[in-house]
Amino acid sequence: MQALLSFEKAPPLAAPLRFFLTAPLFAMLAGLLLLVEGPALLASRWSPAALAATHLLTLGFMLQIMLGALIQILPVVAGANLERPLGVARLVHLGLTLGTLMLAAGFYFSQPELLLVAVPVLVTTAAVFLWASGRALLGVPSTSPTIRGLKLALPGLAVAVGLGVLLAVALARGLPLALPALVDLHAGWGLGGWAGVLLAAMAYVVVPMFQLTPGYPARPSWYFPPAVLGLLLLWTAGVVLDVSAMQRLAMGGLALAGIVFSGLTLRLQNQRRRARSDATYRYWQLGLAATIFALCMLSTASVWPLLAEFAGWSLFFAVILLVGGFMSFIVGMLYKIVPFLSWLHLQNCGQARVPAPAMNKILSEAAMQRQMLAHGASFALLLAGVLWPDWLARPAGLGFVLANGWLLANLLGAMRNYRRHAAEIAAKLAVL
Amino acid sequence: MSHPKTSKVVDARFMEAPEPFVKTMEMLDTLKPGERMLLLLYREPHPLYKVLRQNGHAYESEQLADGTFEILITC
Repeated sequence: MQALLSFEKAPPLAAPLRFFLTAPLFAMLAGLLLLVEGPALLASRWSPAALAATHLLTLGFMLQIMLGALIQILPVVAGANLERPLGVARLVHLGLTLGTLMLAAGFYFSQPELLLVAVPVLVTTAAVFLWASGRALLGVPSTSPTIRGLKLALPGLAVAVGLGVLLAVALARGLPLALPALVDLHAGWGLGGWAGVLLAAMAYVVVPMFQLTPGYPARPSWYFPPAVLGLLLLWTAGVVLDVSAMQRLAMGGLALAGIVFSGLTLRLQNQRRRARSDATYRYWQLGLAATIFALCMLSTASVWPLLAEFAGWSLFFAVILLVGGFMSFIVGMLYKIVPFLSWLHLQNCGQARVPAPAMNKILSEAAMQRQMLAHGASFALLLAGVLWPDWLARPAGLGFVLANGWLLANLLGAMRNYRRHAAEIAAKLAVL
Repeated sequence: MSHPKTSKVVDARFMEAPEPFVKTMEMLDTLKPGERMLLLLYREPHPLYKVLRQNGHAYESEQLADGTFEILITC
């Protein structure tokens, strides 16, 4: 029985871990930028340091963990097996790490040539991932809303990268393009078409599984991914045809779709069978509340576009959606995925003769809860920093460095425990 | 628990992993060849599918409106 639990073809633990351990370093680097630059970073969403920090968070933290987790988890949630997962993981990790560093440096030091070097690195990385995961996913029928969502998220990533290339070239070569509209569209495809659809597709599986809630009702979960994609196509048409009403309609529709998904998830969480509120549950509660708030801001701005012109509006929105929303969801999931993968590999090490230790022996609940409080405090400090940059920008940067350093310390601690248990299991097997 | 399709049912919808897998394999062990059992879950269990295929069991799954997947397994 125990042997049947093994996934012979599952990638080794090293495949996703390299991504999970690199991501907090990028978040710390973003915090360090804020600590060094202070109020200047928060002066405008277009400041070089703000552009650098945004990409350190979205590519360096979010995309890093998303791709690492997907390479590992596609066989489990979709029955889609990547060919040579470890090779793909190595290439994608290296390309994403180097590409993100060069892109962020290009923005921060206002070096257009560096942007143009980062572009082919990031495009190649995205192409490798899209090719490997696309091939694996096209080989399986869409029997669940999760598989459909995963399939529809891939074009979201492709378009976000494509628009990123266009923007980088336009910035470096001074092409006459309507940059603000294209930047918003780039963010829309990246955060909605890729990250949002991917998050929903994963949530359909992990929310009921990890938090013991009822399942997502079938109809809305099948419709959400194509609805997001359709609205993004409308937005794109609005930008191409230069029709502001179309863009605003799509933006409002996307915000509404996100609010419905988040509200539904909150309702499912309220019906959970697990009495204990663990770190993942609390992280998701924070993430959902922040996302609903941010999307209410977006829908309001789609009705009154002048609102978005207010100083600090865009940065306030970005901090709520990225740090309060996406980062909370991602760390919350990481706190389930890392102990589970470690447990699974220890189970295989034991060869059904030595049992694996309980998952809380890999990463303790108390350690996760304490780090979560640090994340919550640094999120609040960042919001206050956007409102009162002269006073609080640097403390907010320091808080963000500390909260993410703590996350890294927790993950490294989990790895130490994993290695210790693996050695103990090997020793026990030797004398059996 | 009984069901129109079969009286052998594992309702694993609020069970923690790996309990759904273990309970399903335990029930399969009690079935005679050709007998069928039903697994209820809020997700498609792809790792279980793989083991079922390896062991020569046929299965079919269907999603209900409330999000439940009904997986009918033939021993």
